[in-house]
Amino acid sequence: MRLDLILATFLAAGAAAAQERPVVAVVNYPLAYFAERLAGDGVQVLFDVPEDRDPALWRPMPNQIAAIQQADLVALNGAGYAGWTTRVSLPRARLVDTSAPFAGGYIPTETITHSHGADGAHSHTGMASHTWLDFEQAATQAVTLGGAMTRAMPDLAETVEANAGALAADLAALDARAAEVGRALDGRVIAATHPRYQYFARAYKLEIHALDWAAGEMPDAGQWAALEALVDETGADLLIWEAAPPDAARARVASMGLDDAVLPPLAHRPAEGDFLSAMQAGLDDLARAAAP
Amino acid sequence: MNALYLAFAHLRWSWARSLLLVAVGAVILAVPLISQTLLRGSEAALTARAEATPLVLGSRGSRLDLAMSAVYFSPDRPDPVTMAALEAVWDTRLGLPIPLHTAFETGGARIVGTSIDYFEFRGVAPARGRIFGVLGEAVLGARVAERQGLGPGDTVISSPENLFDLDGVYPLELRVTGVLPPTGTPDDDVVFTDVKTAWVIAGIGHGHEDAIPAAEAEDGNVTADAALVEYTTITEANIDSFHFHGAPESYPLTAVIVVPDDARAGTILRGRYLDPGNPVQIVVPAEIVAGLVERIFRIATLLDAVTLVIGIAALAAMGLALFLSWRMRAPEMATAWRLGAGRGMIAALALAEIAILLGAAICLAAILVIAVQSHGDALVAWLLAL
Amino acid sequence: MIEIADLSFAYPVGRFRLAIPHLAVAEGARVAVVGPSGTGKTTLLNLVSGISRPERGDVTVAGQDLASLSERQRRMFRARNIGFVFQNFALLDYLTARENILYPCRVGPGLRLDRDVRDRAEDLARACGIAERLGTRPGALSQGEQQRVAICRALVTQPRLILADEATGNLDPATKTQILDLLFARAQDCGATILAVTHDHALLPRFDRVIDFADLGARP
Repeated sequence: MRLDLILATFLAAGAAAAQERPVVAVVNYPLAYFAERLAGDGVQVLFDVPEDRDPALWRPMPNQIAAIQQADLVALNGAGYAGWTTRVSLPRARLVDTSAPFAGGYIPTETITHSHGADGAHSHTGMASHTWLDFEQAATQAVTLGGAMTRAMPDLAETVEANAGALAADLAALDARAAEVGRALDGRVIAATHPRYQYFARAYKLEIHALDWAAGEMPDAGQWAALEALVDETGADLLIWEAAPPDAARARVASMGLDDAVLPPLAHRPAEGDFLSAMQAGLDDLARAAAP
Repeated sequence: MNALYLAFAHLRWSWARSLLLVAVGAVILAVPLISQTLLRGSEAALTARAEATPLVLGSRGSRLDLAMSAVYFSPDRPDPVTMAALEAVWDTRLGLPIPLHTAFETGGARIVGTSIDYFEFRGVAPARGRIFGVLGEAVLGARVAERQGLGPGDTVISSPENLFDLDGVYPLELRVTGVLPPTGTPDDDVVFTDVKTAWVIAGIGHGHEDAIPAAEAEDGNVTADAALVEYTTITEANIDSFHFHGAPESYPLTAVIVVPDDARAGTILRGRYLDPGNPVQIVVPAEIVAGLVERIFRIATLLDAVTLVIGIAALAAMGLALFLSWRMRAPEMATAWRLGAGRGMIAALALAEIAILLGAAICLAAILVIAVQSHGDALVAWLLAL
Repeated sequence: MIEIADLSFAYPVGRFRLAIPHLAVAEGARVAVVGPSGTGKTTLLNLVSGISRPERGDVTVAGQDLASLSERQRRMFRARNIGFVFQNFALLDYLTARENILYPCRVGPGLRLDRDVRDRAEDLARACGIAERLGTRPGALSQGEQQRVAICRALVTQPRLILADEATGNLDPATKTQILDLLFARAQDCGATILAVTHDHALLPRFDRVIDFADLGARP
């Protein structure tokens, strides 16, 4: 009985493999990009988050959970990114936490405190989770992912190994470019429309203060007031947009005497180009803004 | 034929005596076979299950308790280990650690908190429904589902009692998402859930009444007051508010099944936990169960001797009953002799009665033995679950 | 029917000895055997039925010299030619009246239990007035009914000789004459000879002939 079942499972798995490419489920676009770069068409990348949802906060539906559970590899970003992964049952055998190698270097965020009846108050330490905006960390995540793909899909080992070098070189170039931009911005105080850039700031020695604006939308009066207060408080003279805002918004920022640039965190797939080109474009825009 | 007819008529006339003799005969014949069947079945089931569970990691203490709790979900209580022990195995990259948290029960069935790797490891998939997907979902073993008449969509509620004597254990409603096929193993008698759900029952993870809006939760400093209550139901609406307290590596596990990548990896892993100073140990269930089975069979030998003696005594009693019955028929034999019946006919009359009794006893014994054998797996699983 | 000449018989143990110089019973006769206890009346029935063998002398029944037959042949002869009626009826508790009547055909060597036998059993029961009681076990029958069943059993094989040993001994006086009349009538139907041991002198006038063992020369 058991033997039959196991045999059937094996046969089914064999048949499925013959027809379909192995599936790598990921929690954000950078990991999807790394997987695609490493395995080319050898894998099918499962990244089902709708365009208008933040992958960090999204939660899969039951049928999506089933698909993820059956993936050959489930790649997590780590650092608390995508909270649903702690509430969904995932196959540990096929799970990889891509940021585990630098888990000691996570940046804590503000603390959330609450209490439970007589137990008294307790707090959760939050964690900055956009780890890949430090491109050296991104490279580590790519290497970790590559290693996991090699173990989970031995047939693709050669492909992954062959592609890993180019990806590492591209990420190293991105890192160098970001460092260059960072040096150009030395001494500037920067405001960001959303708290996404903690690792970027740390890696490239920038002082970035975060607002909490919605991406790509015209800020409301309160948000403008928050920016003004931030500028008054910190002397910020450059604003990083998460996504290209309406022209009127850019004009108002200019009128406040601030330079601005669009640096997408790329948690989602960009409308044009890929991780590398979109990130390069963002860094270029930042370099432009940094220019005197 | 006439002898059989007369013997049958006589047995029917004295039906109570006949039934008693048949029953006693059947028991004498069946008991040794049944006990052998169950013993061999138990041995096979114990051994097969143990051999299918390569290594078990847990806190140092009774090796038997550890193996029994991890392999058969017995109510033995090894001290809990922490997730750190599981992570340590994971970090060796020598094998797959599968968590087991068996401290809770629902309706008399043990709740086994594990990861979905467990099902792949055991080679089972739900016969109905699907594997649990999120917190608060559960998959039922075949017999639990049958006994409680439950299927996908139904709910079970965890009992407030627990083996670890933890404070803050609140009954949690578990949503059934699937039912496993019968396997004839202890898997049939338990309720599987994600280990994280078990931690929610243990109070390590919880949600909040006023589910915090996701955007706020992400980066806001949310302060909640003492009016917050622990949930007993995890719903679509509140699941996002569920979170866990403390360092994940400190979360408790009953044991960890370790599936080494190969024999060499298994040997290396075992070697790493040999130090008696290490609070964590690795046991090989097959070795422990082999020792247990050997002990059981030593007891079984004694049992066989007792069965033999009782069987002989019962046979003697049956012989006496038949002899007395024969004596009661002596006048009939005298009449038959007068009517011309020879010794052969008279012997046939006597033997026909014994033959019918023996035949009926054999049939009844066969039915008993076949019934036990056809339900052997289930019976053995039930016996082992006692 | 019965021809005994120069017969001498003794049991292996004891001093009893039976000697009959000559005895002849005609076919169809109804003969009573009387005499004090221990004079060998039952022994005579055993010798005539071939159950016992004489030390000396000839016993011829229905033209067959019993001494010339083997043990098995004598049993077959007995089953086919002789019917028995016992004082204690000797019915089997666990069989119905019908099955008791058919019993000799089940245990007797060389006898068959066929349709004819079953029909004959029904006819005999009807003639004996127990047709309604055929499905009843002996325990639920009166003594008279039990002896009627026993008579049917003795006659079902259509024997040529009926040996009755105190056949009416256990019955009340009214029933005794009824049963004896019945036995005589049914025996007459099939032309059977009757040799009946009895102590009941009131019944003797109904017999054609009385053999008194006190006169026969039997010596204790």
